Amino acid sequence: MTSAFSILRKIIRPNPKKTGSPQKGARKPENDDSPLLEERLALIKNRLGESNDVVIREFSTGSTGVKMAILFIDGLADKQQINDDIIKPLLSTTIVNHYPEKLTEKNAFDLVRNNIAFFSEINTAPNLTQALKMVLSGDTALFIDGEQKVLVFGTRAWEKRPPSEPETEAAVRGPREGFTETMRTNTSLLRRRIKHENLRIETMMVGRRTGTNVNLVYISDIVNKRTLAEVRRRIAAIDTDAVLESGYIEEYIEDYPFSVFPQIEHTERVDKAAAAVIEGRILIMTDNTPFMLIVPTSFFQFIAAAEDYYERPFIATFLRVLRLFVLNIALFLPAFYVAIITFHQEMLPTPLLLSIAASREGIPFPAVAEALVMEGTFEVLREAGVRLPKTVGQAVSIVGGLVIGDAAIRAGLVSPAMVIIVATTAIATFAIPAYNAAISIRLLRFPLIILAGAMGLYGLICGLILILIHLAGLQSFGVPYLSPLVHGSFEDIVKTFTRPPWFLFIRRPRMLGLQQIRRQATNTFARKPEGSTRELTHEDTGQEE
Amino acid sequence: MLEKGKISPRQSGELLFTTILATSILIVPAVTTSIAAQDAWLAIMIGTIPGFVLLGILCWLGRKHPAQTLFQYAETILGKWPGKFFGLLYIWLLLQTAATTTRQFSDYLSTAFMPLTPLSVFTLSLIFLSVFAAISGLEIIARMNEFIILLVTSFLVLVTVLSLPNWEPANLLPVLARGIMPVLRASATPAVFMGEVLVAGILRPYTTRPGRTFVAGATALFFAALLLAVGLVSAIAIFGPTLVATFRFPLHMFVRTINIGDILTRFEVIVMVTWVAGVFIKLSVFLYSTSLGLAQILGLRQYRPVVFPLGIMVAVSSFLFFDNIVVISDAIRLVAPRLYGIYYLVLTPLLVIVTVVREKIFGHKFGEKRQ
Repeated sequence: MTSAFSILRKIIRPNPKKTGSPQKGARKPENDDSPLLEERLALIKNRLGESNDVVIREFSTGSTGVKMAILFIDGLADKQQINDDIIKPLLSTTIVNHYPEKLTEKNAFDLVRNNIAFFSEINTAPNLTQALKMVLSGDTALFIDGEQKVLVFGTRAWEKRPPSEPETEAAVRGPREGFTETMRTNTSLLRRRIKHENLRIETMMVGRRTGTNVNLVYISDIVNKRTLAEVRRRIAAIDTDAVLESGYIEEYIEDYPFSVFPQIEHTERVDKAAAAVIEGRILIMTDNTPFMLIVPTSFFQFIAAAEDYYERPFIATFLRVLRLFVLNIALFLPAFYVAIITFHQEMLPTPLLLSIAASREGIPFPAVAEALVMEGTFEVLREAGVRLPKTVGQAVSIVGGLVIGDAAIRAGLVSPAMVIIVATTAIATFAIPAYNAAISIRLLRFPLIILAGAMGLYGLICGLILILIHLAGLQSFGVPYLSPLVHGSFEDIVKTFTRPPWFLFIRRPRMLGLQQIRRQATNTFARKPEGSTRELTHEDTGQEE
Repeated sequence: MLEKGKISPRQSGELLFTTILATSILIVPAVTTSIAAQDAWLAIMIGTIPGFVLLGILCWLGRKHPAQTLFQYAETILGKWPGKFFGLLYIWLLLQTAATTTRQFSDYLSTAFMPLTPLSVFTLSLIFLSVFAAISGLEIIARMNEFIILLVTSFLVLVTVLSLPNWEPANLLPVLARGIMPVLRASATPAVFMGEVLVAGILRPYTTRPGRTFVAGATALFFAALLLAVGLVSAIAIFGPTLVATFRFPLHMFVRTINIGDILTRFEVIVMVTWVAGVFIKLSVFLYSTSLGLAQILGLRQYRPVVFPLGIMVAVSSFLFFDNIVVISDAIRLVAPRLYGIYYLVLTPLLVIVTVVREKIFGHKFGEKRQ
């Protein structure tokens, strides 16, 4: 199987060396440059065209009249800042003449950078191409006549959504902030949670036309360096024109693109992302999307919810076991029902069998067809509900679920038992915290129903084994997908299926191969009042009467 | 190296456990009880001893040839052509066992669950799954087994506990009423299944710490024998030895008796799940071992191309070797002990004898040059 996948991968993702070379006939932009301002502005107009959001402001300043020009994109750059902190000091004679040196073409570059501009973030671009790249991200470029280097001011500021509650991963208890579409906001949200010097945010640019920033976030003295190098290598190998969502990155870097199962977890929650980074995983932030990727991922991460770690350990453990159970219901229940009804009626207690048989009386279809049709209908209803505006969506669920369901039973087309099964399965699917894991399970339900309809429970077990062979073969960045259940330490297994109290989280997951496995000292919590164990009285309040 | 993956000693032990337990739990109780009556559990204990000895021999040989499988060091010890012939004998034994297993599997499903379905449906689907797993590689079989072993052991423990209300401990008495001889004779059948520990000789070079193979394998043997004995004791305690001896699948029958409050009933489907999952692992291990061995004997660079043909061979021979259910019972009761006896008493000791003779008399040093 692995060999088949590797062949497919070669077809899908050809050798990056070949595709990485520049295209034939592409012009070399480095040659299209000139230190002279007039030529340069002509070149800019040529390259950026007549777009109406490109702003060029020419002026001359100083007693010698040094010619300069400012270039920025309206809407991406902060105009107020440009006016007040770049143009104003440059045009104000009091400021320019304040310095003993006279502003000339030769010293203009250094003088503006070091003295005149009131600006914190000033970069230098060696040529026009570099400068244009930064301008297109929202920076402002200052061209000085006769100077090859370009001053670039960090003026990025655009309309953005404030952090709001993550809709896909709601929690009763926990922070309400979710990631937004703006990278800078996102990094600040994360930095605010991890105030440690070793938090690293590394930038890579992906997408020839979109030039999307992709950040790798990790803690340098915890992360597994081999995994990190592998993530870097895979992202660097992406050669595409556009990256509009982290889903693009996910599909380019995952180990087995032809698997139904998601091999990379994504999250909108800042606390979850921070927890993953501290645990030694790597967070891949993509610009323009609130969904962050977490690698490496194992399958059992999908049954964990952020809230597990904020609620009391007992209820969290109970919920986790419940989710595991629910996962099995979502995957197997309809197929199991079909198998029992079609092949193994003797397994049911007689009274139950009789009532089911009575409800199935007069149903024109075999159980397997009934199940497939009902599951199919349910998927249609869901799809219709998801895409519609919220108000109309409710109408769909009422008409679809209640009216049609009821009518179908009354008309004798489907049995009530089947409706119960399908509805239970649907609810079980919603109880899986990770949406991407839930949809792959929804997809696997159909072949399992067919197998159960053809060969009964034996077919169902064959299907289970097939899924298991597939899952056992998967890896996510060198970590087996089924870990820690396979290949894991006992401690990791316990921590996956239960949620021990926080003071017992002494080590990070062993399967990640981290540099520092220990996360806290044993027994360093102070619980009882020191000295005496008696109850507190009003004398202890420290207030004097 | 044909196999690049490595498994941990624990995983290799778990593979042995599932391989041994998967079929024996259904087959052994009836056969041993028919000979040794209520002392059958003693027969299982005695039948385990040859397994330990075989495991010890394999580990001793493995220590002398750390990077080699059974098939490879047979060539080193006996010389090229005799060694290859010797290896083929072992492959034949494994294939024979695989065919028997497959046929038992299909027979059980067909008689106990789906009498109208043709045997070939079960055989071919099982072979297909096992071929798929064997092609995926040793690591994947081992990982799946870790999953399945949880399923198998927890189900077995569950049914045993639930059957406790039906126990009649008096059925287990008297102990050794007819002397030790029937027990010894009955121990031949469990010994056959314990002989499947042979696989350890093939897995050893692919474990991360080969030195631990013996401990892992011995633990596997111990627990397999324990669960087997527990299953047998529960069957005898519920039905009494005379009845058990007439059943074809005593475990299946005793699970059928479980009835807790009219709700927890009809647990035999659990037996089926255990059986299918276990036999699947067993067959995958056998197919993997035989294809690896064949590839090593023939000097192929990949073992994967031979997996499918061998799988088809197993499927076909499972039909050709046995005409009906009676033949297969006889094969297990009468033929298998003699066949395995040859391997226990003649072939495997031969490797040891030749090694000792070459080392002591001709001063040859094994284990010096490593591959």
